[in-house]
Order: sequence, then C-alpha cells, then structure tokens
Amino acid sequence: MNPARTVIGLSLAIAGVLVLLLMWRPGAGNSAGGQAAVPGRPLLVYCAAGLKVPVEAVAREYERRTGVPVQLQFGGSGLLLNNLRVARRGDLFLAADHTFLDAGRSNGLVNEVLPLARMQAVIVTPKDNPKNLRSLQDLVQPGVQIAFANPDAAAIGVLCRQVLERSNVWAALQPRIKVFKPTVNDVANDVKLGTVDAGIVWDAVVTAYPELTSHRDPTLDAATADVGIGVLSFTEQPAAALRFARFLGARDAGLPVLASHGYSVVEGDVWSERPEIVLYSGGVNRLAIENTIREFEEREGVSISRVYNGCGILTAQIRSGQRPDAYFACDVSFMTPVSSFFRPHTVLSETRILILTQPGNPKGIRSLEDLAQSGLSLGIANEQQSALGALTQRLLDAEGLTARVLPNVRVQTPTADLLVNQVRAGGLDAALVYAANVSNVRDHLGIVELPQPLAMAAQPYAVGRDSKNARLMERLLQRLRSAESRRQFEDLGFRWRDTVSTQ
Amino acid sequence: MKAADRSPARRRSDRIFLASFILLGGSYLLILVAMLAADVGYTSPGHLWRALQSPEIRYAIRLSLLSCSLSALLSLWVAVPIGYLMARWQFPGKGVVDALLDIPIVLPPLVIGLSLLILFQTPPGRAVERFIPVTYAVPSVILAQFMVACAFAVRTLRATFDQISPRHEQVALTLGCSRSEAFWRVVLPEARRGVLTAGTLAWARSLGEFGPILVFSGATRFKTEVLSTTVFLELSVGNLEAAVAVSLLMVIAAVGVLVLIRSQGIESTLGRPL
Amino acid sequence: MMVLDQITVAAGAFELRDVSFTVPTGSYAVLMGRTGSGKTTLLEAICGLRAVTAGRILLQDRDVTQWPPADRGVGFVPQEGALFSHLTVREHLEFALVVRRQPPETIRSRVAELASWLGLEPLLDRRPQGLSGGETQRVALGRALSFQPAILCLDEPLSALDDESREATCAVLETVRARTGVTVLHITHNLAEANRLADVRLRILHGKVLPDSSAVSQ
Repeated sequence: MNPARTVIGLSLAIAGVLVLLLMWRPGAGNSAGGQAAVPGRPLLVYCAAGLKVPVEAVAREYERRTGVPVQLQFGGSGLLLNNLRVARRGDLFLAADHTFLDAGRSNGLVNEVLPLARMQAVIVTPKDNPKNLRSLQDLVQPGVQIAFANPDAAAIGVLCRQVLERSNVWAALQPRIKVFKPTVNDVANDVKLGTVDAGIVWDAVVTAYPELTSHRDPTLDAATADVGIGVLSFTEQPAAALRFARFLGARDAGLPVLASHGYSVVEGDVWSERPEIVLYSGGVNRLAIENTIREFEEREGVSISRVYNGCGILTAQIRSGQRPDAYFACDVSFMTPVSSFFRPHTVLSETRILILTQPGNPKGIRSLEDLAQSGLSLGIANEQQSALGALTQRLLDAEGLTARVLPNVRVQTPTADLLVNQVRAGGLDAALVYAANVSNVRDHLGIVELPQPLAMAAQPYAVGRDSKNARLMERLLQRLRSAESRRQFEDLGFRWRDTVSTQ
Repeated sequence: MKAADRSPARRRSDRIFLASFILLGGSYLLILVAMLAADVGYTSPGHLWRALQSPEIRYAIRLSLLSCSLSALLSLWVAVPIGYLMARWQFPGKGVVDALLDIPIVLPPLVIGLSLLILFQTPPGRAVERFIPVTYAVPSVILAQFMVACAFAVRTLRATFDQISPRHEQVALTLGCSRSEAFWRVVLPEARRGVLTAGTLAWARSLGEFGPILVFSGATRFKTEVLSTTVFLELSVGNLEAAVAVSLLMVIAAVGVLVLIRSQGIESTLGRPL
Repeated sequence: MMVLDQITVAAGAFELRDVSFTVPTGSYAVLMGRTGSGKTTLLEAICGLRAVTAGRILLQDRDVTQWPPADRGVGFVPQEGALFSHLTVREHLEFALVVRRQPPETIRSRVAELASWLGLEPLLDRRPQGLSGGETQRVALGRALSFQPAILCLDEPLSALDDESREATCAVLETVRARTGVTVLHITHNLAEANRLADVRLRILHGKVLPDSSAVSQ
C-alpha cells in the first residue's frame, strides 16, 4: 500500500467531488434540465448597494419577461467605478449619483446614460426623536451628535457639504459630527442603532428604515442626487444592455418599482422590447443623418421609420394630427408653427442657399438679380411644400426681385434633389438650392454664393412633447451631436451649429 | 523554621499570580461571549429561520462551505511542498522567497483582490478566461480565498516541518526509501497534526474572507454570493437583523466544522505528544 | 568489509580530512572520540546521509561513494532511536521489507524472527510512546537489521540508558554479532563498552582516525 498514492488519490477524489458539487446548480437553470425558453446571455450590472432591493425586483421581472438573466454586483458607487475601470468587463453601471457617471464618461468608460430618479437630502431621526431634532438649526445645538457620510467619497457627503458651505452652516455643523461613515446606508444604520441622535441621508434610503423618520430642511433642499444607469463602453452586447436600461427607466416597468421604494422617479419612456419610432425629417437632411440613424438603430435595438419629405408637407401632416416621435426640419420657420407639439428644439446645423448653374456658368450669373435676365430657365422649390421654396420666396421678396424673377421660373419641385438633377441633365439654366444639396456635384456644375443673410436655413431637431419614447429620441439627439455625426454634416456642406433654443 | 515562615507568603504570591493570569484571560473570553450574546439578542429565531429559508442565503451557505473546503484543500496541496522545501533545503535567495511567501499575510486582502482582478485582464489572464470563466464567476471566489488562506497554511506547515527532526527521514532513507517514499511514509504522517491545523486555519480564513471576494468575484446573487458578502449586502441596505442572523449562521457553521475536524484529529493523534 | 579511503567531509565548523581506515568483514569496530569530534559526521558519511568532498567509501568491495543511502545496504541506529511515532513496533520491523515490496509471508516470518531474538514479542502492537529507553533501542535495532544489511552503524546506542538497560542491550549487541555476522561500526565515548564489544578499536582525534592502542587502560 503506497501511502503517496493513497493520500494523493484521496485528496484528488475529495477535490473532484467538491468541484462537481460546485458545478451542479439545482434550479439555477444551468446545463442540466434543458430549459425550453431561450436563455439569453446574462447581463452584468454594477449596482450601487443602496439600490439593491428595488433593482433586484426589477431584474427578476425582466428575467421573467425576456429570459435574459441579470447579474447584479453590489457595492458603493465609487468602489464599483474603480472595479469596472480595472476589470473592463460588464454591461451597465447604476450609480447613486450622476457625478459617478460623469466621471465614468470622462474616462471613456460610460456611453449612454439613462436618468432614473432624483433623491433629496433629508435629516433622519428615530421615530420617537427624543431630542426633537427637526431642522438644521436643531442639529447645530450643543449636545447633539450626528453621523455624516464621508464628504470625500459618498455622493451625499460631497453634495451636502457643498450646499452647507454655501449657506454658511457647515462650520457650525462640523463640531456636532461624531462620526464620518463610508456610505449613506451606514449613516442610517447608526441612527437606527442609536449611536448618534440624527443623520443626513437620502429620502429614498429612509423608506427602508421603518423605525426612522425624515425631516426636510429648506437649506438642505438644495442637495439632490440623480440616480442613473449608464451603458459601459466595453459591453459586448450594447443592444441588450440598453434594452434592460430602458426597462429599468420605463414609466410602466422599472420606475414604478423604484417609486414604491420611495424614490422620486423621472419621466420615463413607455416600455417596449423593440420600440417602433417615427422620425420626420426634411429631405435635405437625409444624407447627413442616415448613417447615424442606422447605427443608432442597431445599437439600441429599435426600429426607426424615417419619413423624408419636403418640410411643408411634413409640417402640414403634423398640423393635421400626426405625432412623430421627433422632427428634424429643414428650417426653423417650419418648426415654429408646430412648436407646441414639441419640446424645445436644438439647431444642429445650417446651410446656405445658393444658385446652381450649368458648368462654366454660361449665362454669367453673379447675383440674385441676374436671375431676372430674360431667356433664363430657372427652377425653384415649391413654396408650400418645402422649406427651401418658402425660404426662396422670402429671400426674393426681401430683395424685391420676386416679380422680375418669377417669369423665369420653369419648374417648381417639392424637393431640391429634383432641381439638381434637372440642372445636371441640362433642362435648366439655373436653380436655387441648398449648399447641402450640391456637395457631390460641386465639381461638375457652377456655384454662385449669395451674401444675403436670409439666404440660409437652420435645421432644428425637436422631440415630440407627448412621445412615448422621448428619452430614446433624446439619446438620438446626443448621437446626432457627436463628433462623427458632425463630420458627416460638414462633409455634405452643412455648417455646424448645435445650439439649444431658449424657447 | 525559615521555610515554614515563608510558606504562606509564597502561597499568597502563587495565588496572586494565578489570579492575575486568569483575570486577563477571563476578561478576553468574557468580551467574546458578550459579543456573541449581544448578537443573539439583536436578532431573533424568526430572523434566523427566515434567513435559512431564503434561497439566496441557502445558495450562499452552500457556496461558502464548498469553496472554503476546496480552497483549504488546495492550500494544503501547495503549502505542504512549500513548507517541506523551505524547512529542508538551503538555496540562494531563500530569504527573498520567504519574504514573498509572507506578502499575502501582510497585504490587506482588498489589495489581493484588486491585484487578481488586474491580473486576469492582462493577455495571459484573458487567455485563461477563454477556457474557464474566472472574473466574477465561482472560480474567482475559490482563487481569492486560496491566495490568502494558503499563506497562513504555508506559515503553519513551515513551522511544523521545521520541528520534525531530519533524523527520521534519514533513517527511512537508510531503510531503502527514496526521498519521495521517505516523505510519504515518514515525514508527512509525522506532520499530520500540523497539516490538520493548517487545513483548519485555511478553512476558517477562507470563510471569513470578504474584501477580495467583493472586488474580484462581485456579490452576485445565486452566483458568487458567499456568507461574508451577504452580511455586507444586508448591512448596506439597513437590514441589520438579517446581517446579524447570517453572521450567527456563519459562527454556527464554522464552529460545527472546526469541532468536527478537531474531533477526528484528536482521535488519530491520541496520546501522541507534539 | 568497510573501507574508508582518504575521506574528506565537512563537519559543522571544521573538517575531517584524509580519513582512512578499514573494518574487516564481520568484525565489531568501536570508534571512540570526544563529543564534537566528528564521530556522527563520519557515520552519516558512511550511511550516505552526508556528502563527502573527497575520497572513496568502499562497502563489500563496491565503491558506494556516490550511491544514495537506500542502495548502500547499511543499517543505521541513530542516537535517540528516532522511532516513527505513527507506526507500531511491528510496523517498524516490517518497514524496510514493505518498502522493498517483499511478499507478506516473508515479512511475517522475518518479523517473528526478529521479535523473538530481540525480545520484542510483547511489544509488537505498541506504539513508540511510552516505551522505555532500552525497548526503544531494541526496536531501532530490529528496524535497522530487518533487511539483513551487511553493515550496521550504531551512534552511541547505550549512552541514554541506565546501567541495567545498558547491560541488557550490550547482551543484545553481542547476540547480533554472533547471529548475523554483520560488520558493525559502533560509536561511543564509553571505554567499558569498547572493552566489552570491540574486535577493532579506532579513535578519532583532531580530525583523523587511528587505531586505538589505549585498549586496556582504564
């Protein structure tokens, strides 16, 4: 009997048994059992520890509905950020405050962020509150001992100290702070255990402590946090990640669960596994945004029906009752009549109106006035149907040239593309079009720039006021404002603006 | 006459000596007992029962027991050779190796977890991950526990092998054993008490490990949640009663296993002095 | 026959240099010397437990200088007996034969034989804890002889014993001589033992081994 063999054999056998036991997961839906439902690839979410209860509930529901398991990893927001920075694996990051997500974004770790809820800093005391502490004034009294979250690490610590310093209360409060705790939950625990008289926590946190009460203070009201979930840049399944994020941020799915746990939730989209979006856009914008929209569709896992048309038609349709989720118009003048149906718009770009001529400009056109020369065949866009047409009219009217130029107009088209084609084909001597329309024909045809300030269109993007996918459309806007998208606009002859209206 | 005179004084000094030692030791024991009693008082049998009913906690108990056992076993596999080699051989750079072996004891466990996390994101680490998922999966729990527990096992076994006289091995060699046979037939059986202690220590250390597991394995329900991270999570949502209940579960589990192992050990080493 | 030829071996702080001596086959050699003079070192070198830096060791006319201890066929009884705490006396006697994978009947008969002439029969199922000094030495002796080595090395086997046990053990050693014809190298600092047991007497002094002529003086 060889003792070596016995010992080695025995320990290997024990190890084997342990490993087998570890791998065999009863009921957790592993290999054994052959699940009928399609098991989706699991999502890994880094979740702030304080949000454990509601998020777990939402994750369970999501798994039930879609079959996609959601693995939650809990910890303090700061700790999680450090972890994912090192690990570089995972799909989503749910932080207690946007500052962590901002930090993640500036480090290239976080892409899209979906806001979820807002938290308000409050004073918390035991229910019986023997020292009768109700306001900041009460807290600074001698003999009071409070717990405070670490102002260098915890979101609530940082924000509250800022607010208190600004209102000159911090200096008076500091001597009352008996202990600094790493997270807001630890502060609440201390008040619950009775080691301190009171603490400052988020209102949502108090919901989990039935033995504590909260008190609002007007000075403290300025300290708020925005809970949000961010998509990690190194996720291998962005569409799946975004789908869960949308579920969590949906007003009929995740948000009510958060609300029931005491969170003040934001306005969210309506939940749909694959949202169907309708986007109205002026024809001139098509080339500039088509790529961006396609990539957005793929990344978000949504389907966007693009309706490209003359803005006159589009605006009329909106007026008659159509409610697209977003509208990217050719010019602000076409947004204004329907602005009540949309949220404040963002002007992304602008393009100038210019005169397109035959190669070499045989008719010698140098200015708008030259369009009045006899024998010229001119094409313009239809005033009713398109923004270009309306702007052209406005321009001519302003120059007082309308009556003289109109006789030369041979054709009025709903969109500028048709005009460009006709000039190329030789059917027209000249046409009034956007600079954006001529980007790929610049070398073949003649261009005459116009100096007039009115010879310009500014393209606004607005999200439908009642759209069920407002947040999604806002994310599309962010996408359109990205550097890549901007380059596509500029390559096509647009000038970049990117300003929000102050409507 | 002198001796008789001094006797009561000596007896008194003896009593004072014993009393002060008992006082010191007893106070410590008292605090330990008081802590446990406070915990028991804070929770209730209802909480304990609810904790045991919870499927998450059941999973965590199962994972804890299995991973601690595996980690202790692996620690022994590694610590026995290292302990033996360090005790028997002299080689250049031995001091450096000694210091290296002590690193996991001196480092905060959290740093170990972080280092493991970083290691597995390097190219060789990722290559391993293609075959066996490690980060945020069950193997990471065992690895994290092992890295810390093994260091303690190595220390214990180094001391054990140091104390075993080389003469026994030498006799075995003259009797016809190869080095390997001498080790398995003579040295290891001689060291069985030390091996048991090292294994027990490794097991207990693994059970209590928390920081590196949180960082390297996450605390994913039904996946990598062990009892120590359960306590943290329950605490972090203010569920103090559940946290204490789970803590007491850990105490019970640990005491149970340690008693079981020790009783086996004592049986096999009955009457044998160290 | 045991021949040491110009052996140099390190012994703690000092060195034994150019040690040469011969012990004829079947004879009982007693090596005497002061404590710390290197007696044990020499024994270890012969058994193969310590490497020599120069010279040759010849056992039974074979050069075993580079051979591992297991191949040399030398029985070794260390000073403290060094019994294995986890084995019974019987298992001690079986040990060398089990390692050599001898068939069970051979083992059984050999153990019975050893136990009978070493007086170990009543102790066979005992463990080493609790055995007296004399009993321990006899077990160690039996263990060393179990595989019928040609050479037997004894490191101060009687020094820890009281007078009565010493007497008894001496008698046992004489029996060993008579029964087995094994070549013995016995280290001691006790003259009486030398007088009683030795055929060949050697002395180690200042790192050299010489025949001991101080035989009868006491």
